[in-house]
Amino acid sequence: MEPWTIGAESTIYRLEQWGRIVLLKHRPQKPYLLKAIDEFLRTSRTSRECKMLTVARNLGVPTPMVYWVDMHRHYIAMEYIQGKQLKQLVAELAADRLQKITCKFGKLIGLLHRGGVVHGDPTTSNVIVNQKGDIWLVDFGLAEMNATVEMKGVDLHLMKRAFETTHWDHEEIMWSAALDGYRTIHSDETENVFSRVEEIRERGRYH
Amino acid sequence: MSIICLGIEGTAHSFGAGIASSGGDVLSNIWDMFSPDEGGIHPREASRHHSDVGPSVIRKAIEVASIDVTDIDLVAFSRGPGLGPCLRTTATIARALSLRLNIPLIGVNHCVAHIEIGCLESGFKDPVTVYVSGGNTQIIAYAGKRYRTFGETLDIAIGNMLDTFGRDVGMRFPAGPRIEREARNASNYHQLPYSVKGMDLSYSGLLTAAKRLVSEGVPMADACFSVQETAFGMLAEIAERAIAHTRKKELLLTGGVARNDRLTDILLGVAKRHNAVFHRVTPSLAGDQGAMIAWTGILQHEAGDRLNIADSIVLPKWRTDEQDIVWRKS
Repeated sequence: MEPWTIGAESTIYRLEQWGRIVLLKHRPQKPYLLKAIDEFLRTSRTSRECKMLTVARNLGVPTPMVYWVDMHRHYIAMEYIQGKQLKQLVAELAADRLQKITCKFGKLIGLLHRGGVVHGDPTTSNVIVNQKGDIWLVDFGLAEMNATVEMKGVDLHLMKRAFETTHWDHEEIMWSAALDGYRTIHSDETENVFSRVEEIRERGRYH
Repeated sequence: MSIICLGIEGTAHSFGAGIASSGGDVLSNIWDMFSPDEGGIHPREASRHHSDVGPSVIRKAIEVASIDVTDIDLVAFSRGPGLGPCLRTTATIARALSLRLNIPLIGVNHCVAHIEIGCLESGFKDPVTVYVSGGNTQIIAYAGKRYRTFGETLDIAIGNMLDTFGRDVGMRFPAGPRIEREARNASNYHQLPYSVKGMDLSYSGLLTAAKRLVSEGVPMADACFSVQETAFGMLAEIAERAIAHTRKKELLLTGGVARNDRLTDILLGVAKRHNAVFHRVTPSLAGDQGAMIAWTGILQHEAGDRLNIADSIVLPKWRTDEQDIVWRKS
């Protein structure tokens, strides 16, 4: 079968099963990694992704439905969402529409965080937008529960960096729209998380 | 006519002087690394080292290039990022030469220089760069007039992690090469914290757990092997994420830790999976040295970049993505 797309840690196939389109996400073996590490990552990420797609949905975040899983061969079959990655849309969207969608993105991350969950890779590649402007979050292989302020700060830092590296022309409006959306989800921690983002950015460098 | 540039590097433990021509030839590349008898790098001691060895390193670079000091058209220096005292010593030397020889001064970003010398050597046009050294762990790619950091460490750099682990188990600075040799004799892998967050990673948990392995009596070779496999696996993952994200077709490995053969093998595998070409920068151009500063100085000069001495204050926290890359067209 021809891959539909090759991601960093997975190969995705698109197929028809039971009269509907199914996305099959496979985490293939990586011969360049130590076998023990590779096996651990493929297993833990597959299991984590399945679980977190459901956990996120229960927090009110739209995610694709999981149809079936093969833990031994590291396959997940999930619902195919008719839409495009936000990453592909940024350049063509009108400013107010981009703002609206990015605000929703921030809101969904806020919902996850209030529920103690971090996405782990909140880039615009992992946001699917349909014709009507509804959005879904995908790719939960790096998601974690019992999130601390630090973990939430890192999550927002990653989101900011994705805007910076990939959408530099729209970086400011996207970041402020995302924060606006995030703020609409009330939580005692919000301001602490925001100040942690600034702190995180300064680390890992020469001082 | 060919322009000749003297590049002076001194951001951390090494002081280097290199001479490059606008034709892309490296005429000389001399450096001296500060290696204390025990312990790590103290910024003040390192800067003292730079002022002690600086003049003789520069003299030797001129000698090896077989040029006269008056043949130098430009002087470029590492303006940041780096350790403040080291940067200031280096800048002082560069300013003095610029005034004495009456030639332009160019301030070069150390991280950008690592990429540019790698591109010169490999012929790469637009790579994803894995820059790994004592003070840096970054995945960088060009986009929209800047070199943008797609991923980096959230705490300590890989070289710093290896050195700190090495020092803890009684190895001398730099510990990386010794860890690599030890790892070849390993027979068992011990699981260590693997921490990847998006395109970022974190090494502090790994460091703590690795020290514990040794104190619990795990053989040195096994500990070194486990550290390498885990740390490099994480690095491979974020590099792979950057390649998948940017769809670029070149992967460049540079910085002091690029000398590691196991890391090279792993990244070669990553490149293959994504049909990308891989290049590891030659050891003499991979570590901190002056040739990369000289070559980047030429690129900046040709694009019309100038720096007044009065404005040439050093930038210890100069981010890779803070500089407009005026010499790149697309």
